[in-house]
Amino acid sequence: MESIEREITIPAAPAEVWPAVTHSDEISAWFGAEAEIDARPGGRGTFRWPDGTARHVVVEDVEPARRLAFRWLPFERTADGAIVTVPSTRVEITLDEVADGTRVRVVEREAFALGATRVRPGGQALALAGA
Amino acid sequence: MIAARIVKKDRADLVFTALADATRREVIRALSREGPSTATGLAASLPVTRQAVTKHLSALADAGLVTATRRGREKLYQLSPRPLTDAVSWMADLGARWDARLAALRDHVSAPRRRR
Repeated sequence: MESIEREITIPAAPAEVWPAVTHSDEISAWFGAEAEIDARPGGRGTFRWPDGTARHVVVEDVEPARRLAFRWLPFERTADGAIVTVPSTRVEITLDEVADGTRVRVVEREAFALGATRVRPGGQALALAGA
Repeated sequence: MIAARIVKKDRADLVFTALADATRREVIRALSREGPSTATGLAASLPVTRQAVTKHLSALADAGLVTATRRGREKLYQLSPRPLTDAVSWMADLGARWDARLAALRDHVSAPRRRR
């Protein structure tokens, strides 16, 4: 249960779907949050929900008309301005050309704190728990 | 980023991290199979040392997946599945959110008046 995978087929070519998943104004039209994202590797992004919460992302991989991957940073700004920690996850959106359009697949995976759970085999597994 | 790292980890985060380790999942299975146990008792049925089991139990306790009560010189550990339910429900919510988003994405891309 460490990841979820969802997909949908859209009756349009990958080149038409791509702007919808990478341009801020277009993302804002379907994501459920107002997006500002620099869809380039290393680019930053912010998503602001109607209830006032906001989260940040870092873009990790971009392969035009094919793949976008970004990581949610592990904290969220709540409506009243507080910062709370939330699970950090990595989202990978892949576009595949299929007979009737584009299959959009989303995989969102819990981004385990790398290096914390497997620091040494059988060793310091508690590094993260104490963080 | 630095600020976020020093804040207490979210419970679901700890749960997933705790469960990311194969040995810890074995420990959970052993506790489920044998009921409340000591580290010594668990080590007897697992291919790891008592010290290793103790560390894993401690990580599981931090995640709230096991609770410990003192029994003599040892602690008795038992499963506490509530955080697991919370974590699973968090994942279920996540899936539902993407279902809704993808449907909206399809509608957005298919909309005849879409401009870019």
